[in-house]
Amino acid sequence: MGYGRSDSYRVATTQDKDDRSPKKKKGAKDMDDLKKEVPITEHKMSIEEVCRKYQTDIVQGLTNAKAAEYLIRDGPNALTPPPTTPEWVKFCRQLFGGFSVLLWTGAILCFLAYAIQAATEDDPSRSARSHMFDRLSLCLQLYLGIVLTAVVVITGCFSYFQEAKSSKIMESFKNMVPQQALVIREGEKVQINAEEVVGGDLVEVKGGDRIPADIRVVSAHGCKVDNSSLTGESEPQSRSPDCTHDNPLETRNIAFFSTNCVEGTARGIVICTGDNTVMGRIATLTSGLETGKTPIAKEIEHFIHIITGVAVFLGLTFFILAIVLGYSWLEAVIFLIGIIVANVPEGLLATVTVCLTLTAKRMAKKNCLVKNLEAVETLGSTSTICSDKTGTLTQNRMTVAHMWFDNQIHEADTTEDQSGASFDKSSITWISLARVAALCNRAQFKAGQDQLPILKRDVAGDASESALLKCIELSCGSVRAMRDRNKKVAEIPFNSTNKYQLSVHETEDLNDNRYLLVMKGAPERVLECCSTILVQGKEQPLDEELKEAFQNAYMELGGLGERVLGFCHVLLPEDQYPKGFAFDTDDVNFQTKDLCFVGLMSMIDPPRAAVPDAVGKCRSAGIKVIMVTGDHPITAKAIAKGVGIISEGNETVEDIAARLNIPVSQVNPRDAKACVCHGTDLKDLSQDQMDDILRNHTEIVFARTSPQQKLIIVEGCQRLGAIVAVTGDGVNDSPALKKADIGVAMGISGSDVSKQAADMILLDDNFASIVTGVEEGRLIFDNLKKSIAYTLTSNIPEITPFLLFIIVNIPLPLGTITILCIDLGTDMVPAISLAYEAAESDIMKRQPRNPFRDKLVNERLISIAYGQIVTAGFALGGFFAYFVILAENGFLPTTLVGIRLNWDDRSCNDLEDTYGQQWTYEQRKIVEFTCHTAFFVSIVVVQWADVIICKTRRNSVFQQGMRNKILIFGLFEETALAAFLSYCPGMDVALRMYPLKPSWWFCAFPYSFLIFVYDEVRKLLIRRNPGGWVERETYY
Amino acid sequence: MSKDGEKSGWKEYIWNPRTREFMGRTASSWGLILLFYVVFYIFLAGLFALTMYVMLQTLDDYKPTWQDRLATPGMVIRPKSDETYEIVYDTRNTETWDLYAQALDKFLTPYNNSLQTEKNKECTPDEYFLQEDTGDVKNNPKRSCQFNRTILEACSGINDRYYGYQIGQPCIIIKLNRVIGMLPGKDGQAPFVTCAAKKYKIGKDQWREDTDKIGEMVYFPPNGIFNLMYYPYYGKKAQVNYSQPLVAVKFLNITTNEDVNIECRINATNIPIGSERDKFAGRVSFKLRINTK
Repeated sequence: MGYGRSDSYRVATTQDKDDRSPKKKKGAKDMDDLKKEVPITEHKMSIEEVCRKYQTDIVQGLTNAKAAEYLIRDGPNALTPPPTTPEWVKFCRQLFGGFSVLLWTGAILCFLAYAIQAATEDDPSRSARSHMFDRLSLCLQLYLGIVLTAVVVITGCFSYFQEAKSSKIMESFKNMVPQQALVIREGEKVQINAEEVVGGDLVEVKGGDRIPADIRVVSAHGCKVDNSSLTGESEPQSRSPDCTHDNPLETRNIAFFSTNCVEGTARGIVICTGDNTVMGRIATLTSGLETGKTPIAKEIEHFIHIITGVAVFLGLTFFILAIVLGYSWLEAVIFLIGIIVANVPEGLLATVTVCLTLTAKRMAKKNCLVKNLEAVETLGSTSTICSDKTGTLTQNRMTVAHMWFDNQIHEADTTEDQSGASFDKSSITWISLARVAALCNRAQFKAGQDQLPILKRDVAGDASESALLKCIELSCGSVRAMRDRNKKVAEIPFNSTNKYQLSVHETEDLNDNRYLLVMKGAPERVLECCSTILVQGKEQPLDEELKEAFQNAYMELGGLGERVLGFCHVLLPEDQYPKGFAFDTDDVNFQTKDLCFVGLMSMIDPPRAAVPDAVGKCRSAGIKVIMVTGDHPITAKAIAKGVGIISEGNETVEDIAARLNIPVSQVNPRDAKACVCHGTDLKDLSQDQMDDILRNHTEIVFARTSPQQKLIIVEGCQRLGAIVAVTGDGVNDSPALKKADIGVAMGISGSDVSKQAADMILLDDNFASIVTGVEEGRLIFDNLKKSIAYTLTSNIPEITPFLLFIIVNIPLPLGTITILCIDLGTDMVPAISLAYEAAESDIMKRQPRNPFRDKLVNERLISIAYGQIVTAGFALGGFFAYFVILAENGFLPTTLVGIRLNWDDRSCNDLEDTYGQQWTYEQRKIVEFTCHTAFFVSIVVVQWADVIICKTRRNSVFQQGMRNKILIFGLFEETALAAFLSYCPGMDVALRMYPLKPSWWFCAFPYSFLIFVYDEVRKLLIRRNPGGWVERETYY
Repeated sequence: MSKDGEKSGWKEYIWNPRTREFMGRTASSWGLILLFYVVFYIFLAGLFALTMYVMLQTLDDYKPTWQDRLATPGMVIRPKSDETYEIVYDTRNTETWDLYAQALDKFLTPYNNSLQTEKNKECTPDEYFLQEDTGDVKNNPKRSCQFNRTILEACSGINDRYYGYQIGQPCIIIKLNRVIGMLPGKDGQAPFVTCAAKKYKIGKDQWREDTDKIGEMVYFPPNGIFNLMYYPYYGKKAQVNYSQPLVAVKFLNITTNEDVNIECRINATNIPIGSERDKFAGRVSFKLRINTK
């Protein structure tokens, strides 16, 4: 049953068996290469060197001829699309994967048996009518083969379509608009398809563009790029021609393919295109990763091993037994096939598929889209969640979190729905602060969004300014109106030398002809410009005490990982700056000193409201939540503390060092439960040190991590035996998403590559949905266990008749057709209904499943299913019905033993029963088939009790209740189906099932009741005596 | 390396000397689980025996609870060859028909007049021999009527030791299966056997009858009747010495060297014609081929 994981980004050539083949070696080497950091060096070269390297000109760009030549040499500037698996391969994978193999074997054995029988049969045309039943019994094998084939094909189609459906949803995520790029070739600006961009091209980007390739910036004007999809940093970063860092990912003079230019313009030389770009390498890394089997696939494989083992063992035992008892080898082979077929739970494949589908549907309703069915359960087994910060744990939206004015820190409301606490807005200082923030701000709402709530509106402008804009709009009303009242007369935009931004406005008061100067910027810079401070609406001189208060507030807010901005203003004296004064912003001709400090505002990308609760739930469910982010350690730690990934009271090594005032090296790392690990440190760690960190710290934050390091973290967790879920939205997360046992991508903010690599998509981007997923996943595992226990119990009684048939020589108590009626007919709905069973206890309060110990099918389940319930109920109930019918028709048990040879002798038409009556072959066969029907009905009757037993593993049915409507429906359905099969006219011809006398329905009742009581007692002992012998031996 | 690990893992699984575990369990653990299963199965066996005992108590010793599957009693011929209902022999080759004669001899031995007179009663012919119980008092053992071998006359094997086989006039003996309490015939008319050529299929929608080949037949007793005095049958327990009535058919001038398909049926108004599927209910068909050259 291989619902192959999404292979969209997988390289097809890695399945090379021969380890020594050079191809494989090369592939492995490439992979390791990719895991290393990006080898870009251009950022350290001078522009001239770069030009020389690419034989291009800084003004004229490439010549058209050269560009064409490079295009042929390097290929188009596009990511190689993932090798798509042909549809028929996907289909075949569904048809021949895992569990289906067992059924195929069964089917082939049936056809084989048919062929053997058909070949040895006398010429069947000799007397057509009289041989009708010969043929029918012969056809049974054929029917069985056909039915098995049909089962495999139908379930195969079912899961194929299920997968096709989710990949269709995937398709809808893509909106492929051909991208354009502005390049300069032979000195002319041309708009070309981004695919045709080649290395050495001189390109120009402006705010709103997507960067067409990896470019080395040669000139920039206020250019900022949003690298969040690549590095996870939430803030736009400015781009300039200077090399600022050795690491190409950190340096300012390189802009990366498929990131966005937020504002400003830049010109640069293309240094990498297509798959060679940083983004391309990550995509290739992702597609090159082999993903392991899902836990449920492993479980089912384990289960198949057990079942196959049991089937082959029993089959061979019977084969040898049959040979020893003197049956011909042909008969023995047919017995062998019969046993193996009887052992295959034909309906189970369909049941598992349906159970998983139902859960997937239920999860889709809760905004978890499951891309492959098996992932449904994987989330339930998860023991570690590695979560990206930006966009997953946080809202991916800068929001004003704190303000400092009137010498006091005020907390702003950062919740998504404005349900949080508010602060005192009556202070005059606040009004001033709001005015400064609104006026000294270039961000504005995009047009036509008046109906939308403020927080949902799109803003043109930088993230911090947008945050301020929204904050002011929320608390003081329309910013636009305020700006209209205070017309801007001059402005100095933010630049990195000044580190502030200022603007000059007319005042609101029409009679007041003074100008208002407002400034915002880095707090220390702003403070330098001030000589007074506004406290409670009154200007006060900025003395040392207030300066210290400012410093403390600044430190505190900075320590929260927030970006702090300072604000000040001044009303310019009218005498010096009369109305109409020409403000010169280039050559500053006005006062920028002795301003009045108003306050601080700090911003952060706040956590989502539901996240702390969800993290708490994960923790109580025994799941370790690790934060892995590209962002700064301080911010990461602050958010981690905010959402509870680092819980209150837990300290990192650094915290302990700071508290005890000792150097970090003297702190015993074991004392610290929490750990904030920097990406650059991670680079130098050995595997053992890595394991050590993962093992010894319960609360871990990885900051400044590269995509490759994310992958290493996931691998580290997996090495320690954890089942790892990774959540993320960016391209930088996608290798980790792919490598994880289950990758969870974000539906709204997620990039296409991440969605491709993931197994599950959270349509509402809400981390809390993962908790729902975990809960559903755990439930389905429990319920599958119940379902399998239920199905298996009816499986073994299908073999015991064969056993007695061969050993004691009694007429066959249960035929192949009836076995199929049970497996594929009456058992299906109740087995599926168990998937709807509610959880027995709080499944979110227990530890995650240990994949090595807690198996789907373990020896206790087999012991319970095969050894106890089966023998108690099914076999005995069925045999009782069988003996009752034969005895009431005249064949007492004593006569039956050893009767088989005469009984099955077609030419013996005067077989004597216990009373001395004589029976023709056909007459006694009708009785035999009536027995099969009764055995079948008995199994149904015992299955009533069995399904109720399987509802719970520990609780009593009386505690659990019978609220599962599907299960109740299933009970009625199986009974109705059994009655239909027995009483419908024509069934005697079609399936050889005969009407039963009403009294025969009750034969199995005592056994049904018996297993119910037995199991209730067993569960009572388990509950009364936790950890006792009964639990150890029988709790599955 | 991993292979070695696996191997020692297996070895350890079978016998772990450290924890003294055999197949993952210690001796006491094995003992406990085996004890549990022994007790459990003994309990189950007891319970099964109990229910079986209760069920057997509900049964009548003399008459089965249900007889609806035996509404049309089966018919059987003698001699019977191994697997099929085919009697094929060559008059010139003694071995081929001697088997049939021997089989009939053996079959008819219990019907010898001496044995019959010794064990059974001479009854009034042409009426049912009823021996009802009076209330709870069982009228047991019940007596049976004599069926003397001599009734079969030419087919009794007394005068003609070879039952006509060697001269191409074979005897076939037909019997009707015993069914407890069955009263075949109606209004005093005894059920009788008639034999005729059988329709058989030779190709698609083509049927043939061997009417012209069958020749003359003689039935013993005359008209091939099963006398009413042999009915009803009271079962093995009550009527120990019951002699099942027989009818013999002698083919006088059947076509030789050719297959002849014959079907015999019971004629009685109260025996329903059996289902199409059961070719031995109320009828029996066989193939006869006598080779002479």
